Amino acid sequence: MGAELLTISPQQPEFNRELIKEKNLTFDLLSDPGNRVAETYGLVYAFPEDLKQIYLQFGIDLGKYNGDESWTLPMPGRFVIDRSGIIKYAEVNPDYTVRPEPEEVIGILKGLLS
Amino acid sequence: MTLQEKLNNLKANFEKSAPKEAVDIMHRSTRDLSNSGILEGVVRTGDIAPEFELKDNNEKMIRLKDFLSKSPVVLSFYRGKW
Repeated sequence: MGAELLTISPQQPEFNRELIKEKNLTFDLLSDPGNRVAETYGLVYAFPEDLKQIYLQFGIDLGKYNGDESWTLPMPGRFVIDRSGIIKYAEVNPDYTVRPEPEEVIGILKGLLS
Repeated sequence: MTLQEKLNNLKANFEKSAPKEAVDIMHRSTRDLSNSGILEGVVRTGDIAPEFELKDNNEKMIRLKDFLSKSPVVLSFYRGKW
């Protein structure tokens, strides 16, 4: 619809390639080692030790996926940026189980592109 | 069903089968993060989007400004494939 979708996570490119294959994705998945870019957006938090142990019990080793032992992640967040580089929409929730409906971003884009 | 309804179902199923102690730690961690003030430091509407240069899945370097020169960008931060 005349806008680009970029997604960013700290995981290493090999895991992004796996995800693209598994889900047949058609947009760019960018790798942000050490969450350096997520830091500039204010999104990064560190896991408390007990939560880290729970994830390890579930078989989710962030050290392996992310290529470092920082056990930091970005809060999931969505931003719409206009062509002059200004953020027109920002939606971030510390609770990763709560996400906006996709129609929200579509509505903002329609406004920008009309 | 909305996206959030689907997510709520996934969460409910997971929490039924996961050990209670694990679920408690996950809930507490989310609550602590919410209460930490972290949201005050997040970039917001009206701010200039911080520029970046990152590798895509083909290990090619891409820059935000190269995309913005052509169209608006939807930027989505996610945690990982797991």
